[in-house]
Amino acid sequence: MLARIARELYWVGRYLARAEHTARMLDGVFQADLQGRPEAGGVLLSWEALLTIMGAGRAVDGEHPGWDGLAAQGVDGRDEALDVLTLDRGQGASVITCVERAREGAAAVRDVISAEMWEAVNTFALTLRAGDLSARMRTGPYSVYQHVKERCALFWGLADRTMLRDDAQAFLLAGDRIESADMMLRMLRVALPPVADEADEADVAAPLLDGHALALLQAVGGYQAYRRAVVAPPNAGPVARFLLFDRGYPNSVASSVEMVHDSLVVADADPRRSPPVLRLSRLSADLDFRHRAGMPDGELVAMFEFVQDELAQVDADVAERYFAGAAGAARGR
Amino acid sequence: MPPPAAMHFFDELLDEQGRPRPHATELIAGLQALGPEQLVAAGRRRDAIFLQQGITFDATGGAEGGARERPFPLDLVPRILPGEEWRTIKRGLAQRIRALNSFVDDVYHGREIVHAGEVPWSLIVSRASFARAVHGIRPPGGVYCHVSGCDLVRDADGSWKVLEDNVRTPSGISYVLENRVAMTRLVPQLFAHYRVRPVDHYPALLLSALREVAPIADGDPTVVVWTPGRLNAAYFEHAFLARQMGVELVEASDLVVRDDVCFMRTTQGLARVHAIYRRLDDDFIDPLEFRADSLLGVPGLVRAYRAGTVAIANAIGTGVADDKAVYHYVPAMIRYYLGEEPILENVPTYLLEDPEQRSAVLARLDQVVVKPTSESGGMGVFIGPRASDRQLAEQAALIEREPSRWIAQELVRLSTVPSVTSDGTLSPRHVDLRPFGVFGDDINIVPGALTRVALVEGSMIVNSSQGGGSKDTWVLEDGDGGGGEGERERSQPALPTLPDLRQAGWSGQVQQQQQAHAGASTRVPARGSTGDAGAGFK
Repeated sequence: MLARIARELYWVGRYLARAEHTARMLDGVFQADLQGRPEAGGVLLSWEALLTIMGAGRAVDGEHPGWDGLAAQGVDGRDEALDVLTLDRGQGASVITCVERAREGAAAVRDVISAEMWEAVNTFALTLRAGDLSARMRTGPYSVYQHVKERCALFWGLADRTMLRDDAQAFLLAGDRIESADMMLRMLRVALPPVADEADEADVAAPLLDGHALALLQAVGGYQAYRRAVVAPPNAGPVARFLLFDRGYPNSVASSVEMVHDSLVVADADPRRSPPVLRLSRLSADLDFRHRAGMPDGELVAMFEFVQDELAQVDADVAERYFAGAAGAARGR
Repeated sequence: MPPPAAMHFFDELLDEQGRPRPHATELIAGLQALGPEQLVAAGRRRDAIFLQQGITFDATGGAEGGARERPFPLDLVPRILPGEEWRTIKRGLAQRIRALNSFVDDVYHGREIVHAGEVPWSLIVSRASFARAVHGIRPPGGVYCHVSGCDLVRDADGSWKVLEDNVRTPSGISYVLENRVAMTRLVPQLFAHYRVRPVDHYPALLLSALREVAPIADGDPTVVVWTPGRLNAAYFEHAFLARQMGVELVEASDLVVRDDVCFMRTTQGLARVHAIYRRLDDDFIDPLEFRADSLLGVPGLVRAYRAGTVAIANAIGTGVADDKAVYHYVPAMIRYYLGEEPILENVPTYLLEDPEQRSAVLARLDQVVVKPTSESGGMGVFIGPRASDRQLAEQAALIEREPSRWIAQELVRLSTVPSVTSDGTLSPRHVDLRPFGVFGDDINIVPGALTRVALVEGSMIVNSSQGGGSKDTWVLEDGDGGGGEGERERSQPALPTLPDLRQAGWSGQVQQQQQAHAGASTRVPARGSTGDAGAGFK
């Protein structure tokens, strides 16, 4: 297939996954933020932290100056952060930007995806444009995030039912899964940052991180899956291992890596000599091996970083191997 | 609406002059900012969400006479408990639960409190809930009352009193958790100026308490929630707890006892069960020991329990401690077992078995509340001041016929909290409070509670089976343990530096803008062939 088409599909997948994960994360943190932060089970995930996750503030193009730092504190700061990450069309990270770009991409590949998929993503963008979204955010962001989650689920459900299982679908899914893994790692890295001070670890940091872990688990919709799969209480260490390693949970990093791998195997003419496929095989085996061998809590943070770096390499490999023609044309502009 | 002052009730949000109390200033301001229309609209969204999620309650009295499913009635005005007040409640309840637990242990072992002359033995053995079958059995850790939900009320002077104990199978915790989630979704604005303590760790508390009491040397214990079945009014809660704890929800037919060991039937044969959180009464639990006609029970379960191979929560026979006639003696229990003065008072109660107390009560039957000792859920409660002369005479006859079935209590003028009426305005409604405690290695009282509210103006019947609703209960952080905010902020770990989000970069917006700016005269590489698709929806 055309390198340009493959690239569009890959990015439609990435942008939709980014929109969904951002919505889930904002909804989860918003709900946790409304309640207090007591000694145990509390949440201190700040809005600054969320903006860090999303790398917000970096302008996508010259037109928008970008955004630097929350102007307000407290409730106003929260509303501002929600607006930036949901409604700000100048933000590359905002939900609405992701959806608009997914729609643009889908329009470019309308003949490859099914009509129902195009309609799903088109209606998605149009309903976000229509009506007063800021007002809906004020009365309750829940309804907006619920809408985003439902529309994304609809698109992927239709992809599963109506799209031919060819290399086009493989690129779409590869984009979806690599973005899911990347978002999961971003959230893990911000929710469970390294603890600098040893003395802090026992009394202050541990309950705090446990609270973050629970909030994260609920935000990504994995609480019940965790409860059924893992016996340990939802504390930082076991939750991090679950979200990183557990192949039984479809949104874990290991599951996503495996599915990117499987998709590229379908799409690649010669997978056994393909750098991205080989790199993914190695990463997948590495994740399984570390899981089996048992990984102490202290080493998880380094593991997050390692996996995220590897995935960035995979992304570069994918662009090089499959989209090189299209990218070259763009660079020559 | 009569002003609260004229009715001599204690309102928890407004003072006697109708001004917001200090802790309620911001809440009242937030409610006024919302206004009646928005409250009504939020109410409609609430009903839609609850119906969609299946958070419903079966209310009797539908047009066709059968039970009708309706969304669980959650009032949108929360009830606020400042940290200081909560600390008293928490300490008082922990003390009371400890004493009740000691009492259950004593009743089925040494009976020292009887020998000391504090509680008459005849009263204890005559209770329907006294379980002869568990005499001499001491569960792990000596814990009987793993889960408790005592009902508290606030009298006209603002003081807290215990109205009833409940250490059998108290229900309502699922609504505490669901109410909180719903409130954060429906009216997030109201949380703005408050630091409300979360309640969602309850399932984790319960699970760890159950795991702590499970009789297993090493490995992971299997914990189950046992429901009577999906026709039970609290089935939603049973399923909710099983789901939140990640354990199996079993019915009687799933359990089987072989050689004094309890198993559940799985697709891979029988699997050992170590701890059962049961949500049905003692009477039905084991047809070999209790009611032989029970179809909900597991034959031999008490045998396994006696053999110590399975833990049952709450323990069998705890009903003897929360009996309405035994309630009268709880302050004496606290003094006897703990050597402390009760922190929370009882409502003055009269035992009608006692001839002197009975004649005193019968003389002023129109001023007291009469309750049957063995019923729950507000069934058969007789409120003297609301009764007609004929009803008074009938009740007097009932008491004379069977005095031991009844107790009398002074009427508590339940406190009120403003609540949303059908047109969106606020009006005071009577409330009670049911906090939940979990007893494992230690007693934990969840910082929140089920506040039940009488939705009918002036009514004091708050039971959900009789048209009551509920409120989200906010326990504030101030003055309740924990370090200062400043300390915690300082020790928050530093954030990592993350790589930039990847963007498609060359495609999308940049190109479209270029197209738009440059117009048709500039050739746009790579996008030329499909450029029209991009421009089509600018």
